[in-house]
Amino acid sequence: MNLNLIIIITTAVALVAYLVSKVNDKAGAAMTVVGSLFALIAVFLLRDSIGTEITLLYFNFNLTVTGWYFALVMLMAYSMTAFFNPFWMKKLIYPAGYNFLYLLSMAGTLGVFFAKDFITLFVFWETVVWSSAFIIQMGKSRQAAYVYYVISAIGSMATLFAIMFAYGTTGTFVINDAFGGLAAYPGRAIVIFVTFIAAGMAKIGIFPFHVWLPFAHGSAPHTFSPVLSGGLVKMGAFVALLSVTAFPAYKIFGGMASFRGIPLPIYFMMALGAISIVVGTLMAIKQEDAKKLLAYSSVANGGYILIGLLMLDQVGFAGGLMHIVNHAVASAAAFLSIAAVAYRTGTTKMSEMGGMIHRMPITYVVYLIAIISMAGIPPMGGFVSKWLIFQGLADKGLLFIAATAFFGSIGSFLYVFRPLSAVFLGQTFTRDLNKKEVGVFMLFPMVVLTLLSLLTGIFPNIFLRVVTEIQTSLGVLPVTLAENTIVTNNGFLDAFKVFIVFGFGFAIAFVLFIARRKSRRVELMDTYTSAEFIHTRELLHYSHSFYAPFERLYEKAPDTMKLYHKAAVKISEIGNFAEAIFFGIKPARTVLLVMGTVLIGIIAGGVLS
Amino acid sequence: MMFNPVLLIAIPLGLAFIAVIFKKIQKWILALGIIVNAVLVFFVEKGETAIGGFKIPFGISLVLDDFSAAGVILINILALAAIVIAFKKAEKFAPVILAGLAGMNGMILTGDLFNLFVFMEITAISAYILSSEGRKPAQSFNYLVIGSVGSVFYLLGLILLYNQTGTLNMVLMTEKTGFLEQTVLLLPVLLIFVGIAVEAKLLPMAGWVRGVLGNSNSYTGVMFASVYSSAALFVFGRIFSQVLVPGTTVGIVIITIALVTFAAGQASAFRSKSLRQVLLYSSIAQSGLAAALFATGFVFPAVLVVVNNAIGKLIMFSAAGSLEEKYGTDDYIGLGGAFNKNTLTGIAFTIAALSLTGLPLLFGFYAKLNVLAAYLNQGTFFVPAVVLLGTIVEGAYFIKILIKLWAPGKEGEWADADQSVGDKRIFSYTGTIAVILAAVLVVLSGLLPDTAGKLIAPEGGLLGDDGPAISLLIQKGGDQ
Repeated sequence: MNLNLIIIITTAVALVAYLVSKVNDKAGAAMTVVGSLFALIAVFLLRDSIGTEITLLYFNFNLTVTGWYFALVMLMAYSMTAFFNPFWMKKLIYPAGYNFLYLLSMAGTLGVFFAKDFITLFVFWETVVWSSAFIIQMGKSRQAAYVYYVISAIGSMATLFAIMFAYGTTGTFVINDAFGGLAAYPGRAIVIFVTFIAAGMAKIGIFPFHVWLPFAHGSAPHTFSPVLSGGLVKMGAFVALLSVTAFPAYKIFGGMASFRGIPLPIYFMMALGAISIVVGTLMAIKQEDAKKLLAYSSVANGGYILIGLLMLDQVGFAGGLMHIVNHAVASAAAFLSIAAVAYRTGTTKMSEMGGMIHRMPITYVVYLIAIISMAGIPPMGGFVSKWLIFQGLADKGLLFIAATAFFGSIGSFLYVFRPLSAVFLGQTFTRDLNKKEVGVFMLFPMVVLTLLSLLTGIFPNIFLRVVTEIQTSLGVLPVTLAENTIVTNNGFLDAFKVFIVFGFGFAIAFVLFIARRKSRRVELMDTYTSAEFIHTRELLHYSHSFYAPFERLYEKAPDTMKLYHKAAVKISEIGNFAEAIFFGIKPARTVLLVMGTVLIGIIAGGVLS
Repeated sequence: MMFNPVLLIAIPLGLAFIAVIFKKIQKWILALGIIVNAVLVFFVEKGETAIGGFKIPFGISLVLDDFSAAGVILINILALAAIVIAFKKAEKFAPVILAGLAGMNGMILTGDLFNLFVFMEITAISAYILSSEGRKPAQSFNYLVIGSVGSVFYLLGLILLYNQTGTLNMVLMTEKTGFLEQTVLLLPVLLIFVGIAVEAKLLPMAGWVRGVLGNSNSYTGVMFASVYSSAALFVFGRIFSQVLVPGTTVGIVIITIALVTFAAGQASAFRSKSLRQVLLYSSIAQSGLAAALFATGFVFPAVLVVVNNAIGKLIMFSAAGSLEEKYGTDDYIGLGGAFNKNTLTGIAFTIAALSLTGLPLLFGFYAKLNVLAAYLNQGTFFVPAVVLLGTIVEGAYFIKILIKLWAPGKEGEWADADQSVGDKRIFSYTGTIAVILAAVLVVLSGLLPDTAGKLIAPEGGLLGDDGPAISLLIQKGGDQ
């Protein structure tokens, strides 16, 4: 099995899924499971062919260990989420189209990660963008698809400019050669660096491109949000990675002004990552919708990934790479568990739910473990990768960025537990009393992802060994790994021991929980406060304006979306102006304009010559 | 067997007169003429053909090189597609359409500048008549006036040139103007530019477009946006890339006008709410881009832009006109979910829109890459930046339309087929097949871009330019 076959077969399965869905949409959706699992296994087996190259039509692929690693993460998100597809067909306006685009976008991501030249990279990149935009529109918001596409287009067009500029400078599209040859042109290199990384930043959701995430993640079909957040944003991470590795940014900008060893252009991008952490965290705290909340948390986590990758060092870079897996696993699991809840309750608004732990206990555990990992608490994977990133930042003494990273970590405690308490804890709504846990087919991917979260947290070295391979292949000093410990300049981490300690604490708590007298269950409204009975349910709900005093501190913060609105209004104004001037229906005026053009042309010609 | 290219002009012109006489069967004469031309166009003899027994350069000659071959093939096939899609709308204009087709073939083929004027007039008159179908007399009148002023300007410029060079033959004109000073050429070249710009839809000479295309139907929309405008752009290319290559000064003036047209077109399309208006402004923008490329001498990329725009607008304008006929509005806000029951038409429309935006796997991507590479190889960064900014705006308004037409539904609720405007069929079966074939062509040529490029420019270049600025057939190992 080679890469060409995998891409061709998945595309073919996509077409078949389309036709099958026309007859039976559930069968078509089942084909997305088959197709994505096939791709996952087939790409996993490509491990032996790493280092080979292959050509399909005008596309050239290069199997690198980096691409392999990213592709596996992506296919993991796609294949696990696919298990949910059959259950959501009824909600979709175009079930056949959905199944087709689902697999097509997946095939597209493979091309991105294994691209040898820019044309291949760009072609597959854009294929993913438009196919996912057409999926998003089927969800709860048309505007979401619009915003997603436009922000992506801003990034893509900047990147296309960079690609063509690099081609114009070095005369080749091969990624390594085109970027490698830029060392002789530092002035152009800086333009290319900034424009090239733009598509990646837009995709990860780095400030000021982060506006699309809450729209798209929040409103996409519930079965696509996990792919968007767990998978597709990682494509952006891949481009960010290219812009410091294939594009030898540290070498080219080495002679420039730098801050603590980081050249300013790179530092500037890292600072944007840091801003994203802050913005993502603060905005997530505000959200009332669980999916929007998780979307903003993706913004913050994208910041961590970007910072980690841009450090390109022994420790922080490894952290960034590892965080890609951890965030993909955790956020896919979190989005899937919210989707499972929505499957039963029909809503994702936190204030309309409660006490689902009694009805959906497994989903609760899945969500719990996912957010523990997201918040970077041991013993889950998120802790290990954040620890590595912190180590890297501390090593370099990047104080400002480290501060925001810590802020984001603490802030994440504030928001990730809100859906937990609002959706799963507290009193069950009467409406939901008869709801059941979702079926085995949907539980399976959630449980697998949860186990993966634990695995990355307890035995991180399984994954970090691949990371060291990537580092070696990119010429970076690999992170030091001992038996089951990670060694850095400032200390070491034995994740298994951490797990034992936490496991011990958990066991004690569990024994106490069992031994303790059962608490009396009361109705939600069976209470009073300030000597008054309360009749409004929402006021007793955990999530209702939970952080109101804190939110007031930054309620006047400027909204980035306004910036884009303003730009749109400006373009419309130019359009209005052009229309008013040029498109009147009075012939006399047009004739005057024509004469004027000749006159101005003559004058301009005279002046110029 | 190869035929004389003059047949491409003579057959439709002759049939036009016959159609006037035999009014009863004129629609069959129309079909016959268009089909014969669409077949014949593949079997005409290349090279220069003298007309009327005069030796070149004393008489009129027709020039069929790769450039004009691409032009006539495009025009005749598009004309066929247009009547296949909306035969009912076309049949009563049989003589007009046939005469117009003769005029357009003549415009592209002729090797004589005055003969070009005559053919342009024939084409323009047929266009004036077709524009009357919109039932907005003021708009047609406006078009008539601007068109006539343009013709006068062209003629004036030509007289000045004739006075200086003593020839009307294009080849001789190129030679002789080479000896003239730029300052002498400034006025005539500008006058000719203005004359052609009216039909080529460059601002501010394109004021008529909104009134005419904004009220077009499923047939006339295609004719104006794809057929007439492609023919005009091919003439633009012939004149400004070969015959009267603008010097630096005139070049700057023309390219500035073309780029302003591009930017203004995109911005106006962005603010428009009516489907046909968006499309017509987008056509103006594409014309601006093609004109800028022609004026810089990048003939091959320009032809790609023209072809891409022509095929895209064929699908989109016919669909827009048809939607207006079926639902009484082409305000896309009010047409939510119109593709819901017209999946095939919707897919063709989507492919056309994405190709116009230059998205990969489609022909438009190849066109866009060639445009960018041509400028960047030359060391110009400003134009690619403008083009890419325009592309963002273009993508924004097209995706807005696509989302609207595909996915109806209130914000905050799942897209829902019940919210659709209706389930009326947009095209008849033949129409659907025609647009699907066009869309398949866009996809195929996008997957095999170098083959498509070879078909357009078999010799590798057009009018002496470098041909493809970029080859996507990157050899194994990634080298060009």
